[in-house]
Amino acid sequence: MNWLRELARRIRMLVNRRQFDVDLEEEMRLHLELRQQDQIESGMSADDAQAAARRRFGNVTSLRERSNMAWGWEWLEHLTQDVRFGFRILNKNLGVTFVIVLTLALGVGANTAIFGLVNGILLQRLPVPAPEQIAALVIQSGESSLGALGFSYPQFVEFREQTAPICEVFGSATAWRLNFTAEGHSDTLTVGGVSSNYFSALGVKPALGRLVLPGEGEHPGEPAVLVLSYAFWQRRFGGDPQVIGKQVRVGGKQATIVGVMEKEFRGQFSVFEMDAYAPLSTVFDESSASNFWTSRDIHSMLVLGRLRPGVTLAQAQSRFDVVSRRLAAQYAVTDKDLNVRVMDERLSRPIPYANNAFIVFSGLFVILGALVLLLACTNIANILMARASVRQREMAIRAALGGARSRLLRQMLTETMLTTLLGGIAGVTLGASLSYLASSTHLSNIPIRLGFGFDWRVFVYALVAVIFTAISAGLSPALRATRADVNTVLHQGGRADAGGKARHKVRGDLMAAQVAGSLTLLIVAGLFVRSLRAVERMDIGFDPNQLLNVTLDPSLDNYTRIQTNEFYRSLETKVRALPGIQSVSLAASVPMGNTLGNQSVYVEGRPVPSGQRAPGVFFNDVDPPYFDTLRIRIILGRAFTDADSETAPLVAIINETMARHFWPGEDPIGKRFSLISDAGPFVEIVGVARDGKYRILAEDPQPYFYVPLTQHFTAQRTLQIRSSMPPELLAPLVQHEIQALDASDPIEEIQTMKESLGGTLGYFIFRLGASLAAAMGLLGLLLAIVGVYGVVSYAATQRTQELGVRMALGASPRQILALLLRQGAQLVAAGLLFGLVGAWALTRAMSHMLVGVSPSDPLTYLSVAALLSFITLLACWIPARRAMRIDPMVALRYE
Amino acid sequence: MVRSLDLHRDEIIPGTLYLLILKTLARSGELHGYEIANSIQRISEDVLQVEEGSLYPALQRMLIKGWVTAKWGTTAGNRRARYYQLTAAGRKQLAVEMSQFERVIGAITRVIEAV
Repeated sequence: MNWLRELARRIRMLVNRRQFDVDLEEEMRLHLELRQQDQIESGMSADDAQAAARRRFGNVTSLRERSNMAWGWEWLEHLTQDVRFGFRILNKNLGVTFVIVLTLALGVGANTAIFGLVNGILLQRLPVPAPEQIAALVIQSGESSLGALGFSYPQFVEFREQTAPICEVFGSATAWRLNFTAEGHSDTLTVGGVSSNYFSALGVKPALGRLVLPGEGEHPGEPAVLVLSYAFWQRRFGGDPQVIGKQVRVGGKQATIVGVMEKEFRGQFSVFEMDAYAPLSTVFDESSASNFWTSRDIHSMLVLGRLRPGVTLAQAQSRFDVVSRRLAAQYAVTDKDLNVRVMDERLSRPIPYANNAFIVFSGLFVILGALVLLLACTNIANILMARASVRQREMAIRAALGGARSRLLRQMLTETMLTTLLGGIAGVTLGASLSYLASSTHLSNIPIRLGFGFDWRVFVYALVAVIFTAISAGLSPALRATRADVNTVLHQGGRADAGGKARHKVRGDLMAAQVAGSLTLLIVAGLFVRSLRAVERMDIGFDPNQLLNVTLDPSLDNYTRIQTNEFYRSLETKVRALPGIQSVSLAASVPMGNTLGNQSVYVEGRPVPSGQRAPGVFFNDVDPPYFDTLRIRIILGRAFTDADSETAPLVAIINETMARHFWPGEDPIGKRFSLISDAGPFVEIVGVARDGKYRILAEDPQPYFYVPLTQHFTAQRTLQIRSSMPPELLAPLVQHEIQALDASDPIEEIQTMKESLGGTLGYFIFRLGASLAAAMGLLGLLLAIVGVYGVVSYAATQRTQELGVRMALGASPRQILALLLRQGAQLVAAGLLFGLVGAWALTRAMSHMLVGVSPSDPLTYLSVAALLSFITLLACWIPARRAMRIDPMVALRYE
Repeated sequence: MVRSLDLHRDEIIPGTLYLLILKTLARSGELHGYEIANSIQRISEDVLQVEEGSLYPALQRMLIKGWVTAKWGTTAGNRRARYYQLTAAGRKQLAVEMSQFERVIGAITRVIEAV
């Protein structure tokens, strides 16, 4: 503890600094005076005595300094000096300081915002106790286009039982956008249907009321209860504690609110915002067409596990392997090749199926962010370089007066550090506010939250960015300025720049680098934007305009089959009577919606070999006007008619891909297949419909078929209405009709087809990518313009005298302009070349993120390069033109 | 020398200044800077001519180490002066410095006598 006491003494000295100096001075003065007195007493003259005393004492100033330094605060003193001096310099060059701070604020702001996003989505652990024990469990599947699957409910239960010694398995199946009615008005919410041990395994607590109880809701038909998320509770009920016990309707079903989730826990997904949680039985009924409870083919459960203390991922993996093999043997058809992967929960983000595309996506944007920062750095380096050359005289003189180079260097770097620190603070503030803005915006129809990941990692990231900027942008100019030889500099008369050719070369390189960086950014942005355009223009097989979708489930009111059909029939009639209605139809699912049925297809006369599974094909149950309403063209055969009734022969309409896939080169009309077994019953194909998009926009053409609702009953249906009236205005009218028919208001969801397509399975991710990339591209372009303009105009000013001489010797203004432009153009061309190569390399990683455009799309590359060269040449041209107008007389007199 | 790291390079006999100051204070109790310088000089019969000013940086380091404490008092001539006094730690340090000094001098002596 000795050093602690020492430190305390040192700090005490630092605090009483002024007193210390006064004391020391007095002490030394006394010493000198006493010595002088002694000498006088031994017979010296007063003057001699004083001199002798001084001689014996030594150099007072240096001794005082050394006494001071002994306390070890020298660095602090220098720092305060440098900082104080630095602030004076910054204050003197307010304009330059402002530009640097602004540039850096943009660079650091963009970076922290992006990193905050990535941090929140990928790096932060779940806000639960001992989050490192949480592992994600996914079923590895070669068959799925997305590489991984969730669990079916029976599989989930089996794994939970059989791996209990090493891991508590829990999971959820999310129901998106259920209609929610409370206190007389409705909205939609995203409900996580959770296993009964979900919350206890996570270790989260309620803010109010209770969570799901042990064993609750694991069998269909239990009373429906709901736990609200904190945010939803605040937003919808204003944080009213009386909400507990309230009766509400969710997904058309009566439910009781039993609790509110604690504030910190916002769902197991880092991207999706949950509005509420409910036991599985509240979300899934026995009657539900999806067969959630019993089918081993419906993989709706996203499953996590809390490893018991001390259990490693590898140990857990081997246990799951054992159980997987056991189940594969037990259920040879459905669980063949079952393979469960146990992984760090963070690796499964944002959802376990995403096949890590998101990691590539965020990696790309972190790189783009870094590129923006690099551009900002080069700009700052340029400005500092210009300033350093101006300060060379000052530095040379200070060096001549005995200033050590290291000290001068430190001083220059302190100045840079100060400016960049200011810029960094501004940048972090900007990034934080962007982040805050993003996280506090509740996207009305998409349950997504963004950019809430502002923690120490982001600050460290920003700090590293700032220090990197300060050193990379500040060191070289500082070295140059302090390297100056006093003799050369002072002999140069007025001209400030002693760097000569070498310095121009560095500036030129920086300018080329800027053009290259900004070209890369713009190409990436261009590709994303073109991809978005392509997606938006993509043929999705139907016309999404002027369509309203209303999803209903009257079975929740215990309607019989006949009552349900009757309900829909009268609803259709009533809606058709509304003004402006063109076509009304019913379907079991909506393209890019979440309730898509998948059925095994057994082609007649082609039995499935034993041990193999019949191929699964997605399908929809629709009524006769469906193809009219969605404007899906029937290219062969006929659409459904009213004659395709419950008692009529079973019929189906298949799409082009299905026709090609199952009956290549044949006429599919009249061919038959079964949904049950090789032995039938068989369904006859009566028509072929055009291909479209069914699950996600980016999917490849895939087989799909339609069967009549009359022949394949589902209670949950979506009423689709095409009208000449804007669908937003139509919605309340339709809702009114429904409530008139059934006071319990069985609406699950009501939204326009356009809104529905803007969701996570639709355009959302493309729009997000395009707008992020475009923002970065514009930022890069802005920085490049400022940079190029700065370099060229500085070069022009530096060369004023030379240009004056040239003009005096007869060079025409046009030649001067050509001279400056040629140099600018060379640099821009070099930059473009490097930028094209860089962009080509970077965009290799993007192929999975782009739709309808190749990552090396020549049109994007060329048009962006042309645009950038035009803009940068313009940025060269303006200062060059100014130089052209130099009056030779003025130029020659210019120092 | 062993302790040379602790010392400033322009001390006349590296490493001995602390020892001299510690010893002087141990002998005389409370002294101010001038008295310390004078005392060293007088007792060494003017052989040890310390650059008097270098006492002060050395005293600072000893203050930091906690070997001495300082307080203001008045001299016989009624002037304000800072008086230094040995602490317990200082006394311990004196013993350390003494034994080290003796070991080194002993070694040097043996080397010289062996010739």
